[in-house]
Amino acid sequence: MTEARVTAPPRLGQEEGRQLITEVKARAGKGGDVVIDLGNTQEMDSLGGACLVDTALIVKRRNGAFRIENARGPVAEFIEMIEPALHPPPPRPKPEDSTFVEIGGKALRYVGEVGEFLALCFDAFYWTIIAPFEGRGFRWGIFVDEVLEMGVRAVRIVFLMNFLLGLIIAMLSAAQARGFGITIYVADLVMIGFARELAAIMTAVVVSARTGAAIAAEIATMKVQEEIDAMRGMGLSTSQFLVAPKVLALSVSLPCLMTIGLVAGILGGCVWGVFVLGFPPSVWLDETLGAAHLSDLMQGYLKTLFFAIAIALIGCHNGFRVTGGSRGVGLMTTRAVVMDIFVMICIDIVFAAIFYYVLGR
Amino acid sequence: MSETILRVENLVTHYGETKVLDGVSFDVEKGEIFVIIGGSGCGKSTLLKHMCGLLRPTSGSIYYGDRDITVMDEEELVTIQRAIGIALQSSGLFNSMTIGDNVAMPLREYGNVDPALIDAVVRMKLSLVGMATAQHLMPSELSGGMRKRAGLARAIALDPPVVYFDEPSAGLDPIMAAGLDDLILDLRRMLGTTFIIVTHELDSIRKIADRMLMLDRGKTVFLGTVDDVETQGSDRVRQFFDRRADEYITQRNI
Repeated sequence: MTEARVTAPPRLGQEEGRQLITEVKARAGKGGDVVIDLGNTQEMDSLGGACLVDTALIVKRRNGAFRIENARGPVAEFIEMIEPALHPPPPRPKPEDSTFVEIGGKALRYVGEVGEFLALCFDAFYWTIIAPFEGRGFRWGIFVDEVLEMGVRAVRIVFLMNFLLGLIIAMLSAAQARGFGITIYVADLVMIGFARELAAIMTAVVVSARTGAAIAAEIATMKVQEEIDAMRGMGLSTSQFLVAPKVLALSVSLPCLMTIGLVAGILGGCVWGVFVLGFPPSVWLDETLGAAHLSDLMQGYLKTLFFAIAIALIGCHNGFRVTGGSRGVGLMTTRAVVMDIFVMICIDIVFAAIFYYVLGR
Repeated sequence: MSETILRVENLVTHYGETKVLDGVSFDVEKGEIFVIIGGSGCGKSTLLKHMCGLLRPTSGSIYYGDRDITVMDEEELVTIQRAIGIALQSSGLFNSMTIGDNVAMPLREYGNVDPALIDAVVRMKLSLVGMATAQHLMPSELSGGMRKRAGLARAIALDPPVVYFDEPSAGLDPIMAAGLDDLILDLRRMLGTTFIIVTHELDSIRKIADRMLMLDRGKTVFLGTVDDVETQGSDRVRQFFDRRADEYITQRNI
């Protein structure tokens, strides 16, 4: 093996270092050992040091040995400090190599997550419904705060969104119905649509984006800042303090919000019917009330109750699962909202199927 | 060690109605390790944030060389801020990046560094703080001490002439804290870096401080070397160094 000896200049900075690298590449291009002589060097900065680190890497990649000699005084101390960096860098962590290991790992993670979620559901059920009757207090103070935040503060946006949706539905269906001369039935359509489906879905989507995200972000931040650990360490149940009040508060507020959404949606349709289609308000109202059936309303409310429980539990579940810091909080919040919407549609399909096949409506 | 790198003149600042700093003046020389001490809530961290240009004072000036940062516009301030390194109390590492990328960030964004060298600089800086093997880890995978050191590695990435360090040894074990003190001394010796450090750790102050400033309720109560404490220090400073408790903490409710 050949050994190339390169003498470094008196001052080793970025420029000089680059020249040094070029010289090393030229002289030990096809491999071989390299010795850097720092005998003349009195001064060097971090970038000069980085050039030495880079040189060492180049030489070692070509299976040569790298040595620094004759460093003196402060330069020697500097070299001593950067010595660990002269060794090849640690490899980047590689993903699992076998596909089976990967699939198995994923499956186990999903099973684990489902287990955690079921445990959370059980805990929430216990602390919301059973524990208060066993004399283990329900946190009414927190519950009231949550209702204010989740329910009362959401009234305006829920009203506005449903009103606009009512307007849109009336607009779209009136265009189709006009050809058959049955525009009065737009009032029936809006009523049935909002009672069975639209008020529930629209309200739940708004609340999921508002409250579901807030729940996930709040709990995730608490976990990151060790507040959750502190609570558990004091022997307090996180389900009792965090989950149960939220589940109950949302179960109360969401149906109320849906009622407001329903009224707003019908009002939106009515505005179109009265002001654009030209029906007298009493005619439109009669038609609307004639189309109102209790069973349609029950379907909407029943769904809403499930949506509420799902939004609260999914928010809490994702919040508790956070790992890492601020990034993790963002990821879990996104995940909570995406899961909310997905689960909502699933619940909706199940209800639609039950009502269609079993009850024939 | 005679060139003044930073001069603070008669700094006054308020949080709302509360006066946090009240006429603080001092100067820091090039290559000095200047320590700011004082009880909790006395305005140390606030002072540090003013010196980095993160907060604007009510009145008073902060000169880097002959330029006053309190009257600069954002653009000028940024050029000054690029020349200083800041290691914050809770490290301030970006959670979404690996440690290596954290350290590389200032190099990539505004360092006059050859892109091919960035990786080498990152590894070197990390090995300076004893973390050569942690390059590909995420901040959330590190212990508190490692995060502090990684924060320091990022602060010194561009060899800034001035480094601010808020509570370097808070929450670290004595061995780690002593290692960090040595590291600060080494970096000063090798790169001529000026350190301005906020700390409570008495051992650390005795070991590294060239001079120190003690604040108490926003006012300067002592400015001088550790040896001066015995000869010229007021009761308050000696109390701090002797770790004597008083009634005063409970009265102030902090």
